[in-house]
Amino acid sequence: MSLSFQLSDELTDYGRKLRDWSVHEARPLAREADDRHALPDGWSKVLDSCPVGVGRTDVPDAEPIPAFPDGEKVTMLVYYENLNYGDPWVMTAIGGGIGHLPVKKIGTPAQIEKWYTPVITSGLTTGFALTEPQCGSDTSRIETTAMRDGDSWVLNGSKIFCSGGARAEYITVFATTDKSAGPRGIAVFVVPKDTPGLIIVKPNESKLGIRSQLTSELRFENCVIPVENRLGWTAAGPAENGSGVSGQAGALSALADNRPNVAAWAIGSAQASLDVARERLVERRAGFTGRRWELVETELGRMNSALDRGRRLNLKAQYLVDQGTPSRVAAAIAKGFSPQTCERVVLRCMQLLGPEGTSKQLLLEKWYRDIKIIDIFEGTGQIQRLLVARQLMGRAVG
Amino acid sequence: MELTQSDELAAVAELARGLGLDKLSPAARSAEAAGQVDDAVWQALTGSGLTTVARTEHGGDGVIDAVTHMVAAEHLAYGDPGIALAALWSGAAALLLSEHGTTTQAGHARRLCSDASARGALAMYEAFGRGPDEWTTSITTDGSRLTVRGSKVAVPFAAAADVLVVIGTDPSTGILRAAVVPGGDTGVTLDPAYGSIGLGVAQSRGVGFDVSLPADAALGGDSSDPVALALSVERIRLLVGAAAVGTAQRALDYAAEYAQQRVAFGRAIAGFQGVSFLLADKQMQVEAARLEVTEAAASIDLGRKGADDVRSLRHAVREAVNYATETAAMTTRDALQVLGGHGFLDDHPVELWYRSAAALAAVDFDPLCSAFAPAV
Repeated sequence: MSLSFQLSDELTDYGRKLRDWSVHEARPLAREADDRHALPDGWSKVLDSCPVGVGRTDVPDAEPIPAFPDGEKVTMLVYYENLNYGDPWVMTAIGGGIGHLPVKKIGTPAQIEKWYTPVITSGLTTGFALTEPQCGSDTSRIETTAMRDGDSWVLNGSKIFCSGGARAEYITVFATTDKSAGPRGIAVFVVPKDTPGLIIVKPNESKLGIRSQLTSELRFENCVIPVENRLGWTAAGPAENGSGVSGQAGALSALADNRPNVAAWAIGSAQASLDVARERLVERRAGFTGRRWELVETELGRMNSALDRGRRLNLKAQYLVDQGTPSRVAAAIAKGFSPQTCERVVLRCMQLLGPEGTSKQLLLEKWYRDIKIIDIFEGTGQIQRLLVARQLMGRAVG
Repeated sequence: MELTQSDELAAVAELARGLGLDKLSPAARSAEAAGQVDDAVWQALTGSGLTTVARTEHGGDGVIDAVTHMVAAEHLAYGDPGIALAALWSGAAALLLSEHGTTTQAGHARRLCSDASARGALAMYEAFGRGPDEWTTSITTDGSRLTVRGSKVAVPFAAAADVLVVIGTDPSTGILRAAVVPGGDTGVTLDPAYGSIGLGVAQSRGVGFDVSLPADAALGGDSSDPVALALSVERIRLLVGAAAVGTAQRALDYAAEYAQQRVAFGRAIAGFQGVSFLLADKQMQVEAARLEVTEAAASIDLGRKGADDVRSLRHAVREAVNYATETAAMTTRDALQVLGGHGFLDDHPVELWYRSAAALAAVDFDPLCSAFAPAV
């Protein structure tokens, strides 16, 4: 009996085509996306030129990401790494947001039909509003309230980092219905765009990186939505055929599966930095003393090995999901391992190139800014360590 | 052994810290957006005598020593590394002109001290991990002509300065030399102004030299002292290390304050060792870097001995700069991490320090000084 990390030829070929396209078509517009804090002009046409299915949600009936024998989640790793290898702006253009994921996870069949299916079949942008100014990692501190008023919920509070917020068809909003109940009091609500009381305070926050990814600051002021817009509910109250999962736990578990994917994005950007740096360094080899050049080659090799370690952890975590035996800890290990090391890879590549490396002539400085968020969002590196530590030492871990 | 700051040194630290916090820090964002430092801020800096270090009737009674220079650099960078280094680098050109130049050349230094619109440029770094003893830019004298040939990187105010000091070596002797190149010389080629991840207000560019000048363009004319020049060059390199220490300390202090205020899981996040030890580790590194920079500066002040001393000093400066700048990159990174999503927004200044530290870490990097280390 043996084990194998070998991907199928079909998936490998898909990854290669995606990478070539992202380098040649998407990368040239990366600087514009960063400077404008928005998608580059003609972004949709660039996506039209992609030779393989990438599951666009901005147009109806887009070609989905193909099914490969390797499994759906393993496929996503190849997708994320190669798509981002060109530049992350293209992912922010394709991704229609993640607001529809909680709908799929904890919505009633009717809610899934109404809010999830159209995103997949027609292409829509959805928003996801969880983080608040005073709470990030500790989601039990959510202060946005949802008060029942007859046939309605009335929302009040502030949200930051709402991805897609300003242009979303609807936003899934985490709010507490009962502060005294702590995490169990948190539920998820669908707030359609243009609902009175939904205020876009800042359409796009001014960020260090991934500037073309729209993240909005929102305020809810007596924002009234129907009772059945609470996920897992009908107009008559809690659905009998609901998932039975609590709002917060259920919706957040939708994020756990995505953790190795964002780690794969970090690896894509780090690998791109390594490859760009290697090419430039080889051109400039004559500038280095023999001893330094030997070190440069050793460093490049070590960085490649570090990225490969991260890839294996990602593959294992998503393989387990595809097998129907997902492991929250495997996902935490994957996301805890790679992002910070990838930051260091990009930094080291910039250093090896000298001031040219940190100049805007190259994209390494952009990728260094872009990927900093990966060790923060969807569970910080510290939260991943907590999950791993709890597996080792149980609740004794503080 | 003397590790207690004299009253004079403590006063310089206080003055620089005050300028940093009161003038530089509030101006940091607008300076970055404009790509230049506001005249009033520049005047405050040159007027303090902490950045434009030259013998001048305007700037006090002479040149501060290297230890004092580093203390000033650290505390000004505590305010903002971009503005601090722009002024320190411009001042470095004044230092060379004043300390090693002829009377005419020293006149340029006096103008850099007194005219708020004047900028000095210094072409020194060459990348590839090269130190001064490996710089390949050549400065040769042939009869009545002085020839400068080579490529430099990270030359501050390369386009704006009307006087540019370039450091190189005489290939026949291997001895360090410097030349004063007038702005706009046809043999000077500027790389495009690409911009950078940080430190943009210094307007640094790559510069190519293929210049023929009158022989009196040599810094100091025919009476230059190569050892003294080498010591000044090491002092100027060390400024980057000192600025890195100040940048790191500021980010650390900011994150430490935030960690005491921010509540999660029932307490201030400083109550979690995952946060507090992260910052404590960095405080240890910052303090080690600060002392390393200080000792190298003290050695420069002892200087004027001979070629062997210059060699060991060069090693000390190289190590100190590389350790301090890597420490700044890692420290600003962890500070940003402690602020979480807020750190990623420009509502807080940590992202600016994170970018500045990345630029600092690449200016004078030498792969011989540290190995790539994965985070986990």
